[in-house]
Amino acid sequence: MTPVLDRRTFLKGLGVVTVAAACGGAATPTATSTAATSTAAATAAPVAGTISVYSALNESTNNEFFGAFKKAFPNVTVNVLPLAAAGELQTRIKTEAASPKADIFIGGSSEFHDPLGKAGLLEAYIAPNAKDIDAKFKEATGLWTGWYTGIFGFISNNDRLSKELGNKKPATWDDLLDPSWKGKLVLPDPVKTGGGYIFIATQIFRFNKDEAKAMDFMKKLHANIAQYVATSPGALTLIDQGQFVGCPNWAHDILTEKGKGNPIDLSIPSDTGFEVGAVSIVKGTKNLAAAQALVNWSITKEAGELNVKLSNRGSTRTDVAPAAGSPKLSDVKLVNYDRQWATDNKDRLLKLWQQTVGL
Amino acid sequence: MRSLQREPGVLLALLAVIALVAVFIVYPQLRVIATPGAGYVDFITGGTWVRSTWQSIQVMVLSTTTAVLLGFVFAYGMVYTNMPWKRFFRVIGILPLLSPPFVVAAAYVILFGPRGLISYGIFGQTLNIFGLGGIWGVQTIAFFPFAYQLIADVLTRSDARLEQAARNLGAGPWQVFRSVTLPLSRPGLGAAILTTAIYVLEDFGNPALIGGTYTVLPTQAYGLISGFGDLPGATAVSTLLLGLALVLYVAKIRLDGGRSFVTVSGRASSMPRPPVPVALTWTCFIACLMLSVVIITVYGSLLVSALTLNFPTVLTPTMQHFEYITTGTNGTALQNTLVFGLAAATFSAGFALLAGWLVERGAWRGRRVLDFLLIMPAAIPGLFFGIGYATAFNEPWLDWLDRGVLIIISMIFWNIPVGYQAAVAGLRQIDRTMDEAATSLGASSLRGFRDVIVPMLGGSLRVGFVTTFVRAVTTLSVVIFLFTPSSTVATIRIFQLVNDLNFGRATAFTVADIGLAIMALSIMAVLARGRIALGAARA
Repeated sequence: MTPVLDRRTFLKGLGVVTVAAACGGAATPTATSTAATSTAAATAAPVAGTISVYSALNESTNNEFFGAFKKAFPNVTVNVLPLAAAGELQTRIKTEAASPKADIFIGGSSEFHDPLGKAGLLEAYIAPNAKDIDAKFKEATGLWTGWYTGIFGFISNNDRLSKELGNKKPATWDDLLDPSWKGKLVLPDPVKTGGGYIFIATQIFRFNKDEAKAMDFMKKLHANIAQYVATSPGALTLIDQGQFVGCPNWAHDILTEKGKGNPIDLSIPSDTGFEVGAVSIVKGTKNLAAAQALVNWSITKEAGELNVKLSNRGSTRTDVAPAAGSPKLSDVKLVNYDRQWATDNKDRLLKLWQQTVGL
Repeated sequence: MRSLQREPGVLLALLAVIALVAVFIVYPQLRVIATPGAGYVDFITGGTWVRSTWQSIQVMVLSTTTAVLLGFVFAYGMVYTNMPWKRFFRVIGILPLLSPPFVVAAAYVILFGPRGLISYGIFGQTLNIFGLGGIWGVQTIAFFPFAYQLIADVLTRSDARLEQAARNLGAGPWQVFRSVTLPLSRPGLGAAILTTAIYVLEDFGNPALIGGTYTVLPTQAYGLISGFGDLPGATAVSTLLLGLALVLYVAKIRLDGGRSFVTVSGRASSMPRPPVPVALTWTCFIACLMLSVVIITVYGSLLVSALTLNFPTVLTPTMQHFEYITTGTNGTALQNTLVFGLAAATFSAGFALLAGWLVERGAWRGRRVLDFLLIMPAAIPGLFFGIGYATAFNEPWLDWLDRGVLIIISMIFWNIPVGYQAAVAGLRQIDRTMDEAATSLGASSLRGFRDVIVPMLGGSLRVGFVTTFVRAVTTLSVVIFLFTPSSTVATIRIFQLVNDLNFGRATAFTVADIGLAIMALSIMAVLARGRIALGAARA
């Protein structure tokens, strides 16, 4: 039966960790040589043992991504806890504070990592490879490191767009206020999804933090919106099926959906926003060396290129090319997205939005 | 039951039940409610909960009414009439319980959405199922099985002699139904209404997927956690839900009053029920059939999706989704699901029966408190039950505790209410003289419970087992904060696949999960036959 098996694996894992800890004191030459074989490793501590990774990455990314990490660090066993819902993982890490079960929290917008860092639940680490990453993609003291980017785009259903809207994709967000879109748009619910909130914040930055103008836009847009959908991927499905015609959503996910043969297309309205996907080390980790190795590895060129291939997301490294059909972050007209301000004002802005649209 | 002092066995059992309830129901919830943070007060004063509370109540009243009505028709048809296809209907009556709501709700959208295959594809109608109407419809079908199970259990035990007597005295079929059958099934009906209402109140999956902007308390709580990591605000919502459940509970106690619903007395009855008019039989049959058509369509679409590349846009047949679910940790997840579900169901049903007997037959003070505490878990959204366990039992000194075991324990206590309600409703129909006969012949109360009451409550035991099993197999929210890579379950995998927009694999997983669960239940039914005669043979 499974529980017995669990205990056995658990004890085995415990043994490995103990051995690794012992090695840590002695700094054995074998471990150092293993680290040296990796393209990325710059840490002096031996990297071995087991790490537990809470991953908010897509199902399709997890296996290959951590498989590649294991190839780079063959002595590390990675136990991945896959849950493509960063909010739940963040909550798990909070509730487990008394006895942390995770070593690494990977994936999900930095907005999910930042509060954990502020609550003292993350271990600061400035990875050697972080020197290649722009300052706006990482936390200054190393509490979290941004390793991928996602741009907010627009998905439209081909058939219905050509029949009902003259095949006119929005060039700007203001185009969505046209009455012809009435009842044909959906939006990830700003209160329930990170994407929906980033959409509101984007509008505020687009109007140079003039909140009144941004709320006026959201109010007019509200008149055209048929549904606020509970999850960002759930909104994509509705467009795939042609239940509705269009939806602001993550460009990388839209590309992935298109790749599956769905009759949809991606466009990027100007002045759009973006997310920074982060990785962080959970305080209380039992294997700091391996956790640091994973953080450092995830911002290598190799890991960045692999993630682009697997998820269509961009990399925070400038030397990694974006996925085919996906715009480069520097080629898109982005708003001046003040991440800290957006995080700090979130509750207030959402309440303001709720009052504005009367929800 | 004699006084507790004279029966140390009963006293010990009672203390054990109280201790378990305190540790595994009360303590974790106190930890949740006591979550530190200013967010709690801010949230209450912020007032965003007023609208969701009102909407929660609205949807609860609507869905409970229709679900219980439908459950009653189904149960009446199954127990009283000799309509055909009962075996088929029995499976239909459990199917909606066997699947994670987030997959089924997605199927409703595909079939009945604005461009739904049926609503638009066949009838050319642009339906807006998002919102109150959609939640109402989907919840009615999702929750009628609870009402059906509880009511059928009670109807089975109602005494045919009373009905025959009424008929002999000249009452028509309708009058018998109204003045004998209906009043005598009140404990079951009350339990069914209370349970359904609380489950509707707590339902998250359906409102989340088709609620649209119609926010109810559980979706608001989920949004607070999922979108913002606002645990204090979310626990405030959970507390509100518990408050509403308490109100419902008190209302039910008031309604029940102190009446007697005894229908099973000392002498056995082998009298057949008076025949039901043919027209009524066929009305029941047609109602059950129509419901079956809807359910078959929805579940059929899951099967089609599992067997095609990218339902509903790319309909090329494929087996690759089923091949996928046998790879990697997916097999482990299916196996865990069954093991956890069966273990939890066995313990939960037994525990519920024992607790039901102690509360219903006992004369000790504070019974009502224990009674409420055993119904309360139904009102705790799984999310908070899971968070409670994750907070309360994630201490360094408890690290030796296997997570699989913890998940089983959480499922046992989260799912107590239905089995417990069934046990209490059943006991209220069994004359106390039955217990007394055993004790006056020299048996201890516990022995009387084991040898006399348990065999007669086979049906209630079965209800407890089945509901705990199906809820354990389909729950996502309780497990999401507890699972580890080696103790992952099918719903976690399905959730992951849905979020990854792989509906094909998600539905294949769902179909396999439902299939295995039905197999497990059938095997259990065969094993139980003869031993739990009442449960297996009737309803």
